[in-house]
Amino acid sequence: MAVLDCASTLSEALLEHDFAPFFGTPCGILAPLYGRLEAAANLWTVSREDNAVGVAAGAAMAGKSPVVLMQNSGLGQSVNAIASLIVPYQIPMLLVVSMRGAPPDFTTENIVMGRLTEPILTQAGIPTAHLDEENLAAQVGWAHGLVVERRQPAALLVPPALFGWRA
Amino acid sequence: MNKTAAVRAVIEATSAEPIIFTTGYSSRIAKHLANRPNHFYMTGSMGLAASIGTGIALSSGRRVVVVDGDGALAMNPGCLITAGAFVHLPLFHLVLDDGQYESTGGQEVPSRRVNFTGLAEAAGYSDVWHVDDLNKFRELLHSELPGCATPTFVHCELTERDEPGPPPRIEADLSQHQLGFSGHLASCRDRPTTPRQPIDDSAT
Repeated sequence: MAVLDCASTLSEALLEHDFAPFFGTPCGILAPLYGRLEAAANLWTVSREDNAVGVAAGAAMAGKSPVVLMQNSGLGQSVNAIASLIVPYQIPMLLVVSMRGAPPDFTTENIVMGRLTEPILTQAGIPTAHLDEENLAAQVGWAHGLVVERRQPAALLVPPALFGWRA
Repeated sequence: MNKTAAVRAVIEATSAEPIIFTTGYSSRIAKHLANRPNHFYMTGSMGLAASIGTGIALSSGRRVVVVDGDGALAMNPGCLITAGAFVHLPLFHLVLDDGQYESTGGQEVPSRRVNFTGLAEAAGYSDVWHVDDLNKFRELLHSELPGCATPTFVHCELTERDEPGPPPRIEADLSQHQLGFSGHLASCRDRPTTPRQPIDDSAT
């Protein structure tokens, strides 16, 4: 699938599966997805990832099924918010986390977080899946079942090249 | 005015409005004084009370009260930028300032030279207030809270210590607490008299 099509497919799948609102934080890998979401939905940029998680927690308790989009470096900023707020209070939200430090990104400053990302989420007890370009709609459907229907958190990991990012 | 008196004044000035109490003694004092369904006790995630309040106000259009602390605000002043970006956010953000991290042993907050109201104003809050007197605080709650329609910041300087021996830790099942609070927000949403619409604006 062409890379821009992946951003469109994912954006459309999220909207079709009743996810909203969207809270974005700075990320080059996710930029094409931001472009699609911005055109179609409420996408608010938050200046730091743990604050985005906090705002999404408020939105979730007000009845929404929010999505926080962040780079995995921002997951590092958010660990305490996830560990002491999202998981123990079981607050539903979808985390869309881009994978710096995973192939083809071998930048030294991102390798460690690349290695830590999935263990952090799974050890926190958050169901996590790696997005696969052939399977995007089905994977969003899986996230819908967890977040929208069962009202619990879930995470989708975005490989660096999914939307065309290059090292 | 001590922390217990300030929390009591907030509870007395509110009925169904959602209130987010920050971690530490503010949550414990509030639960001890009156454990109402509109209370959310944030037992961890220090610094995120205002961000949670921002998300509720943004998504529901409802006026939200945040009872924050000076230590939590010093830990995450970025919450001011997050809230201040939304021009029409009905957020009433109170900071109870006792100059110390009371629940961790009374260490001094390194904020003696920080101008909290100046920070809030610079971050985009439309109204900022400073009070250090209980009667003035009550008057402010009475005059400003009911019509709050934009990010509003109140720096409450606490001039007296609480009685020794804080209320007990919050031992509740946190997921059940969340469900109860979310249920309260839903019941408000379903009430036909709710006058406000969800906010649909951004930084501009």
